[in-house]
Amino acid sequence: MPTVTIHPTGEVIYLDPEETVLSGLYKAGYAYTVGCRRGGCAICKVDCRSGEFSYNHPVADTVITDAERTDGTCLTCRAVPETDITIELRGENVRLVNRFLHMINDKARQRAEAHAAVTATSGTTHKEQ
Amino acid sequence: MGVMRLGYAHVRVTDMAEAKDHYANTLGLYETLSEGNKTYYKAWDEWDHHSVVLEEGGVGLVKYGWKVQYSSDIDEIEKKAKAFGVTVERMSKGDNPEIGDGIRFTTPSDHVFEVYHEATLIGTEVGTHNPDAFPRHLVGVGVPALDHSLITAEDPGLMDRFLTAVFGFYATERVQTTLDSDADIIATWMTNSTQIHQLAVLAGPQGKLHHFAFRLGEWSEVGRAADLFSMDDVPIDVGPTRHGITRGQTVYFFDPSGNRNEVFAGGYLAYPDRPMHVWTPEALGKGVFYHSRELNDAFTSVLT
Repeated sequence: MPTVTIHPTGEVIYLDPEETVLSGLYKAGYAYTVGCRRGGCAICKVDCRSGEFSYNHPVADTVITDAERTDGTCLTCRAVPETDITIELRGENVRLVNRFLHMINDKARQRAEAHAAVTATSGTTHKEQ
Repeated sequence: MGVMRLGYAHVRVTDMAEAKDHYANTLGLYETLSEGNKTYYKAWDEWDHHSVVLEEGGVGLVKYGWKVQYSSDIDEIEKKAKAFGVTVERMSKGDNPEIGDGIRFTTPSDHVFEVYHEATLIGTEVGTHNPDAFPRHLVGVGVPALDHSLITAEDPGLMDRFLTAVFGFYATERVQTTLDSDADIIATWMTNSTQIHQLAVLAGPQGKLHHFAFRLGEWSEVGRAADLFSMDDVPIDVGPTRHGITRGQTVYFFDPSGNRNEVFAGGYLAYPDRPMHVWTPEALGKGVFYHSRELNDAFTSVLT
């Protein structure tokens, strides 16, 4: 249950498992410049400052170059975080366009964190509860 | 007659299984051949072997095929392309499955064009003898045919001159910086028939694909297509709306690799003697999207 933190403003967005960064941000009420949303146009690239992610589809070499595969470039429409990650947008900031969606996401994150805390304390797994 | 139509669009896709689901099950194209990393499709009202070729690996355009009426047209176009300063190579029957001899060249916009006269005839899905109006069991949108494409080029004016000189196309509409005779051409919509455009060229990077479009009959079919895109989680770029330019009705959407597709209905009849429509920058939003009257940033920046 990874989170995406946005540098430098510090917003934290909770993602469902297997969810892409782009999908998670939009579902949480945020908007930024995106294009095809299917890995083809390269418009939604950001920089990943910390954490790990992987791509859930093959990404064309014309979209992510060899150098960009190791320099932290993150194609957000195909990137699924493997750990909590921190990203920084290129030349813009995310815009909160829907406070209601943001509130829902915040509550989902709080529930997940509370659940994780309980699980850690009791030493039981999610399945056992 | 020379060039009759855009015969095939050959594009790259990152994932063939997802692409096949989109082009066959959402758009309703008929698979005619699958060979190696390529899959070939035709639409129900097309008769030649294929109009769409998908190639696995990457994204964006590989090439276009243009079908000419007579085999002698190939020689004529070769001469004209060479006279324009373009290097032309010959291609042989079988270089493309089910496509005959022809020529291949790279345009001044860095797109690869092939020109051919022969393609294996399969026939439409309704046949020619007392044909019904449409096939009873269409899948998804059930597009009848490939219609046109929009590409980008650093100098659309050069491509306008190239298509005029080599293909005998004429411009039906243009976007220009001003109405002055020395204005820069920002975009041009070109054809050589009554079809409102066969190829449009927009200012942008060389060699890029903006979209390729499938034909639909009317507004209600465009709306139904958009409904199906929602059912199939196809990202809609814009629409349903109308273009001021061409007056066509449209939905722009993306295939699973991010190549932009369009379904396009309507558009008025083009004639070479019809005075050309000219749009200037202050009305560009209305020209492209007649209802929102705003050019979204994706329209000019999202290319494959």
